[in-house]
Amino acid sequence: MPRIVRRILTTAVLVVAVLVFAFPLYYLVVTSLKTKAELYSAVPTLFPQNPTIAPYVSVLVTRGMSGLLLNSVIAGLSATVLALAVAFAITYPLTRLPIGRGLRSFVLNWALSLRFLPPIAVVIPYFTIVRSVGLYNQLPALILVYTIFNLPLAIWMLKGFLEEIPLEIEEAALVDGATRWRAFRTVLLPLASTGLLAAGIIVFAFDWAEFLFAFILTATPQAMTFPVGVQGLVTQFEIIWNDMAAGGTIAIVIPLLLMLLARRYVMTGLTFGVIREK
Amino acid sequence: MTPTARLRTSWSARSRQERLALRLLLPVFGTVFVAATVPFVLAVVQAVTNSTGQFIGLENFGRALGNPQLYESIKQTAIYAVVVLPTELLLGLGLALLVHRTVHSAALRALIYVSAMIPIVIPQIAVGVVFRLVYAPDYGILNALLGDTGHNQILWLSNAPLAMLAVASVDIWQWTPFVYLIMFAGLQTVPFESVEAAQLDGATSWTQFRHIELHYLQPLILLVVVFRIADVLRVFDHVYVLTGGGPGTTTEFLSLYLYRLAFRFSDLGQSAALAVVVMVAMTLFYTLISRFLPAERR
Repeated sequence: MPRIVRRILTTAVLVVAVLVFAFPLYYLVVTSLKTKAELYSAVPTLFPQNPTIAPYVSVLVTRGMSGLLLNSVIAGLSATVLALAVAFAITYPLTRLPIGRGLRSFVLNWALSLRFLPPIAVVIPYFTIVRSVGLYNQLPALILVYTIFNLPLAIWMLKGFLEEIPLEIEEAALVDGATRWRAFRTVLLPLASTGLLAAGIIVFAFDWAEFLFAFILTATPQAMTFPVGVQGLVTQFEIIWNDMAAGGTIAIVIPLLLMLLARRYVMTGLTFGVIREK
Repeated sequence: MTPTARLRTSWSARSRQERLALRLLLPVFGTVFVAATVPFVLAVVQAVTNSTGQFIGLENFGRALGNPQLYESIKQTAIYAVVVLPTELLLGLGLALLVHRTVHSAALRALIYVSAMIPIVIPQIAVGVVFRLVYAPDYGILNALLGDTGHNQILWLSNAPLAMLAVASVDIWQWTPFVYLIMFAGLQTVPFESVEAAQLDGATSWTQFRHIELHYLQPLILLVVVFRIADVLRVFDHVYVLTGGGPGTTTEFLSLYLYRLAFRFSDLGQSAALAVVVMVAMTLFYTLISRFLPAERR
């Protein structure tokens, strides 16, 4: 094939790929900016005729979903902090202190195996537990479940980050007479902060996106999270497309921004350290 | 200090460190281990007792495994997997090779990298919303683009084979970029020298892929397949939003079936039994594949 033909072909393939992947998202955002009147036009439009933010106001204010947004943020932040603390307490001894190979590989394997449990199988007994201890429809129930289910990611990401910090740096502080706690606080923690932040961002984005647990373990806006509210917008009898699209857009924007911040670590996290960014 | 004394202090120092390690690790790890294991134990208890707490043996397991709807949902899940996995793998790999061979600008590569990450980080529930806007009758943009919005329009989400294709296409849309990113990263690890040598020997693009690059990609392909199988078994959100498992039960995958059993029919015994079976099956699956995963390699 002549060079020029091949160039045109590959460009065409890439352009088509980009269009296929980008168009649905474009249409979501466009729909979220349409007026109610425009929804009932005979043929759906590709551009909003009179762009409006009314659907966002309707979703957040009229439908009261800003409360769900707040629930999502509270549940996500608490679960992220908890998961990071637990993961740190587990990975610190695994990476900085002498520990039996058997125990070490058991802990890491166990964490990874959690990743393979289908949440629906787990939520059936959790539902019973949560109801019997009076945590049904309460954010703490979600926070605990989210903490456990993001541990695989948190443990494996932190393990990767901690392994990259040379042991000698901490040891030097110990030799200089610092206690282990002090060495941890003044030497290791600052060096690990980037990793903690990256892991925190990714864990939060997962908490934010979680649907099934929240769907089953909550019942009213008191504890419902935003994705559950979005699902409610979809399955209502009369589908109000622009509100639904606005809800979807809000649900997307936050993880998108966070992931752009942590973009160098996303794939490392998702593949448990197999893929490394340079 | 005598050599023995030095040996002894280093030993005692070492064992003190080991004790510290266990003191830090065990309480926290023990707690989360118990918290993650309790559901399994409770599911077993629920499965072998009735609502008044009497032991009823394996009756619930018999009902769960004897239910023809279970096999129907397994069949649907298998069809979904067979459509989705090879498509994502081939498309992702193909795109990775294409970009690897033809796009040389670092800025463009970085742009593709970040764009490919977008579908992956979007909440599944929002993905459902996005494709509702694509496939739904009357307002869906796909039919509008195809030019039919009247009475004869294609009902993508309520026609049995089409609904399966529709939910599968969403999976492909969301996860092909994931495969792409992994494959592309894998291609960057292929040593330049071996590619250069092959090219000097007159290797075509295909033989270069077949004999050199594929060799480096193999472990990653395995990893992708393993992760994607685990994900397919937990597929719930976007299907729930798009078809709710319908029409009928034609897109009712394993997760949706379990959901209906437990929370629509409130059949606690049967769903707990099935949950136990699923957890045991996944643990076996995990044991089988764990040597391909990162943990065992160290």
